[in-house]
Amino acid sequence: MTSVLEESVWRLMHEALDLYHDSPAAADQLRHHLSRFDEPLRIAIAGPWQAGKSTLVNAIVGEEVAPIEVPDAEQVFTWYQDGAEPHATAYPAGIELPVARTANGLRVDIRRWRPAPVNDLVVTWPSRALRNATIVDTPALPDAGDKVLRDADAVLYLTRDGRGTDLEWLESAQDGTVARAAPVNVILVLSRADEIGGGRIDALLAAKQLARKHHRDHHVGSLCLAVVALGGLIALAGRVLSDRDYSALSTLARTPRPELEPYLLTTDRFVGEDFPALVDVETREDLLDRLGIFGVRLATTLIRTGTGTDTRAGLAAELVRRSGLSELREAVGRCFVDRADALKARSALAALEAVLRTEPRPGSEKLLADLEHTLTNAHDFRELRLVAALQGHRIKFGAELEAEARRLVGEGGTTPTARLGVDPRTNPGQLWELATGALARWQEQTEDPLLSLEQRRAAAVVVRSCEGIIHALSS
Amino acid sequence: MAPIWLDTLDETARVCAAHSRTDLVRWLLQKREQLLDPTLRVLVVGEPKQGKSQLVNALINAPVCPVGDGLTTAIPTVVRHAESPSAALVHEGDEDERVPMPVTDIAARISATTPGRRPGASEVHAEIGVPRGLLASGIVLIDTPGADGDDPSTGSGVAALPRADIVVMVTDATRELSVSEINLLLHIIQSHPRVVVALTKIDISPHWRAVAERNRDHLASAGVPAALVPVSATLRLQAARTNDKAVNAESGFPDLIARLKREQGSKGQVLAPAAVGLMASTVIEQLAAPLRAELSNEDSGSLHRLYEAQRGLDELRRCSTRWQNTLADEMTDLMSDIEYDLRDRTRKIIRKVDEAFETADPLKTWDDYQEWMEQSLTEAAEANFAWLVQRCDWVTGRVADHFVRYGADILPEWRAGIPDRLAEQLEEIERPSVERFTPVQKIFSGLRGSYGGLLMFGLATTLAGMPLINPVSLGAGALFGGKTIRDEGKSMLRRRQAAAKAASQRHVDDFFLRLNKECKDTARWVQRALRDHFTGLTEQLQEAIVHSLRSAKQAADADALEREQRRREVQQQMRRLAALYERAQALTELGGAPGQRQRRLEPVG
Repeated sequence: MTSVLEESVWRLMHEALDLYHDSPAAADQLRHHLSRFDEPLRIAIAGPWQAGKSTLVNAIVGEEVAPIEVPDAEQVFTWYQDGAEPHATAYPAGIELPVARTANGLRVDIRRWRPAPVNDLVVTWPSRALRNATIVDTPALPDAGDKVLRDADAVLYLTRDGRGTDLEWLESAQDGTVARAAPVNVILVLSRADEIGGGRIDALLAAKQLARKHHRDHHVGSLCLAVVALGGLIALAGRVLSDRDYSALSTLARTPRPELEPYLLTTDRFVGEDFPALVDVETREDLLDRLGIFGVRLATTLIRTGTGTDTRAGLAAELVRRSGLSELREAVGRCFVDRADALKARSALAALEAVLRTEPRPGSEKLLADLEHTLTNAHDFRELRLVAALQGHRIKFGAELEAEARRLVGEGGTTPTARLGVDPRTNPGQLWELATGALARWQEQTEDPLLSLEQRRAAAVVVRSCEGIIHALSS
Repeated sequence: MAPIWLDTLDETARVCAAHSRTDLVRWLLQKREQLLDPTLRVLVVGEPKQGKSQLVNALINAPVCPVGDGLTTAIPTVVRHAESPSAALVHEGDEDERVPMPVTDIAARISATTPGRRPGASEVHAEIGVPRGLLASGIVLIDTPGADGDDPSTGSGVAALPRADIVVMVTDATRELSVSEINLLLHIIQSHPRVVVALTKIDISPHWRAVAERNRDHLASAGVPAALVPVSATLRLQAARTNDKAVNAESGFPDLIARLKREQGSKGQVLAPAAVGLMASTVIEQLAAPLRAELSNEDSGSLHRLYEAQRGLDELRRCSTRWQNTLADEMTDLMSDIEYDLRDRTRKIIRKVDEAFETADPLKTWDDYQEWMEQSLTEAAEANFAWLVQRCDWVTGRVADHFVRYGADILPEWRAGIPDRLAEQLEEIERPSVERFTPVQKIFSGLRGSYGGLLMFGLATTLAGMPLINPVSLGAGALFGGKTIRDEGKSMLRRRQAAAKAASQRHVDDFFLRLNKECKDTARWVQRALRDHFTGLTEQLQEAIVHSLRSAKQAADADALEREQRRREVQQQMRRLAALYERAQALTELGGAPGQRQRRLEPVG
């Protein structure tokens, strides 16, 4: 299915290249987007100022690679891509920058490129997390907004609380024929979940409930593919927890609770002179920087009460689990990485649309029509649009049918077993039976005269997905 | 004796009334009442999720405002003292309508569970009464919905501003003040002399001291005279639970409360004068702005009209040169074009005649030819003349274009027309003298030709022994006779054709001469007529403009007198305002508001 879409996008891009061969700017842009097809997916981490963008980059990579401090608050996009050797290049000048590995990550010497203006900084860093996707750390919105939408295939939108101004930006991101016709490519991340409720011990749970509530909200639901709560600091701490940190934390945990509690009340008290446990001030300040006061509270509680958290690795895993990072990874995998081809096609089409609209000439009208044709006929897009419509409650079926429809069109993953909602080890015969059953059920829906036109159209999309499953099973 | 600020306030109100600004008067009277009231109304504002409601709760140590994950204050909540806990929902209007309800139910009305959605009921607010010492001492707390967005002048938190004596702006310590927060502050200090910035959540932020320092810098550089108080609601509530004085002190709330109490205690001496000073300054600015605009507005209507008329006159002068040039140029072009056209047409006719008389015999075809000739010449004349008329119209249009700005009715009423009897003016083409080939001539020529042939062949055949007149010589004679007749006929024809061509040529030349004269006359006549028409038009226009110029000048003179009078009046009013402004400034200094904007109100002129 994807290959059809990819092929038609490829053809469109080449036709456009022919048309614009004498316009260097347009041709460059088109070629650039063509070359992006073979590169990993680009996921931008965007959000307003101090939303926790760099922390999330670090948590995903698992090392402290961000932020790279830029003097004079310049608007620099930092690209993190996978590679054998760490190195960094500043663009557009193309200057190689010296890179130093530190205990937890990297430091880039930025003084070298001071005289030249820099827009992009490409950091190559060996990391498994970067294999499927290039991560882009962006300057604060809204100034960087246009470039984010232009350069990234998908966006993780970070916000403290998902307020009106955030939603406004997300709405503005849905502008243009392509953006409207192709599905949204945004995951909303409530990124400072550990600060909810003033850092209560159950803050992360509350944040997850809040995220679910947000996602159920029709307005929010139609603007993003998923809402995930994330304790950025906790996640990062879990990924880079050192033995020294762990021993300090376990010393704290051994201190009787009533004695320790008053000192965990505020950050001032925690790093004060007078402290009941044998942990010196520097270590405590270090812990606070790394985990935040909430993190310290959570970690000591976990060590004291926990099972399996009595080793460094155990505690780290538990912190990561609680932080919401695994949910985020899972969402990124499901919504972005599994659909990488569709998202890349979306970016290419958006770029093509921009070129066609800014430089109209004889022939561009036809290409624009072809583009719209491709958009409306691509099954991947139709599936994603249907998912969004179902999530936004713009199309409704009965509860059971709706759940099945969501599953079949690939909300929870695009493998046949995920679509059919069964164990991956189920034998092919059974899968075949399930798939044909679903196909028959949904074919019935397409012909049901009691349903509205929209519902029947949606059912037709599901039928097409079922046929896709059967096709995948038979080959 | 009334305090000095009350005098100033009343004076300001009187001035407003004199300027018939009832809206300002109403506002000032409301403020007066509010300032005379010894209670201190504290408005708590800020962006969403900064801990505004929690701050109110912590101030009075009671969970009156709903707080929690995803809960957002949706309507303003007024917390005041009451002997026993009570709650009510107030629908604002001309008559406030109070709906009492149980304290336990009010939270649901205050909070909205979905952020970013504001019910369209900003005219509703909640009132909660609780028995607390702080409130009993005369402090009223107002919790507001978060001000979201970049525009500080919207949002119901801001809508509640006029009711407040002092504003507490809440921002949390996990990040520095944002641009929109600074904008909000700048908006607030335009109307409120006292602003406190409460830095909340210092318990969870390790670097709150650095943030506080940065925020103080931000405030100073933005010119916001606000004190910054770091507080921790968590510590305060913990202190209340454990009754721990030290924790309470650490929470920062005693400092904030002391500030509020100090303000309340000195409301009449310090806060009120400062507020009145600020208010009076704002009001005077508003009153002075139109006056100042009026003074600086030199371009009064009559003067404007005068300039306009002068400009019109100049324009007309330029226009008259332009149209004359256009007319002369166009007519010269037209004449040469028309002449060329006519020449071209006649030449074509001549060429056709030449071709025709290469073969045709004028003797046989003359009548047809004459008809054709007349017709073609008539056609040529009509086409040429039609074109002339068209061109004349076009020239008229071109010239009239110069007058477009003066109105639509400027085209002359007449048009050049095609003379009706154009064709009949032509004389009939004279028939060329034609030599006919009469039968007698034919016989004669035939005999002459046959004689030679007979003789030649007769002599030749005599050598063969035949008589001179024999069949052969007779035959040859007949042959030769025939040939001579034919040759003679041909040459006669050519002569006739030449004569016909010459006659045609002459005729066409005559025609050309006459018609060309006709055309030129018409064109010249048109030119003259146009010139007369547009000269007349220009004169009319000039007269009208000169007239309006004269009347504008008179009006301007009269107006200048009136303006001078008005100017003196306005200056007097400005002086009064300036004096009042001085008093207001003095009050502001008495109130000790730091960093007041140093604006001077200079009387103009």
